Amino acid sequence: MAVKKLDALGMKCPQPILKVATMLPQLSEGDTLEVVADCSSFPDDIKAWCEKTGKTLLMCTTDAEGKHSAQIQI
Amino acid sequence: MAKVAITVNGSEAKNVYPPFILGSSAAASGDDVIIFFTPGGSPAMKKGAIKELNDKAEALPDLEDMFNSLLALGGRLMVCELAFDVHDFTEDDLAEGTEVVGATTFINESKDATLTFSF
Repeated sequence: MAVKKLDALGMKCPQPILKVATMLPQLSEGDTLEVVADCSSFPDDIKAWCEKTGKTLLMCTTDAEGKHSAQIQI
Repeated sequence: MAKVAITVNGSEAKNVYPPFILGSSAAASGDDVIIFFTPGGSPAMKKGAIKELNDKAEALPDLEDMFNSLLALGGRLMVCELAFDVHDFTEDDLAEGTEVVGATTFINESKDATLTFSF
C-alpha cells in the first residue's frame, strides 16, 4: 500500500485531473495518491472524478491561501 | 462509461481549446473520446500548430499537455481526408497520433456516442 504524491500547483483545469488519470497505471489497488492543486475547480472536479471512476476520496481540504490537498485511495 | 464525439470546424483557439478541455477531461474519467477535425479544423492538427496556439494563450491551460494526455488516455484524433483537397498539406504534415479518416468511418465510430459537441 504505497503513498504517492502529485504536485499540480499552478496547473489550470483540467490539467490536475489529467495528471491524476495519467498516473493511474503507476498505482496499485489500495495505494493512496496525495494531490496538491490550486485551481479553483479542483475540489469539485476531483470529487466528480472519484465518483465516476469508482475511487475513494478520503479527504479534500483547502488552506487559507487557496491550496487544495486531496487524498485518493485507488 | 460514456462515448464522447466532438467535431472541430475551425483552427483558431476558440475552436481548438474547448474540444481538448472537454475531451481530455472525459478521457481522464474513462470515457471513449473521438475528436473529428473537418477540413476547416484540420490545420490545427498540423505538426507544430498546437504549440503555436499554446504559445499565444498563456491564460489558458496547457494545450500541448491536454493533447498529449488525451492520446495517452486513449482518445482519438481524426482528421477528415478532404482536408488535403482543400489545403496545401499532406498526411505527412499532421501531428503524430492523428488518424486520417473518411466521414463514414467517423459516423460509424461515433454512432453510439452519448455526448456530442461541435466547435
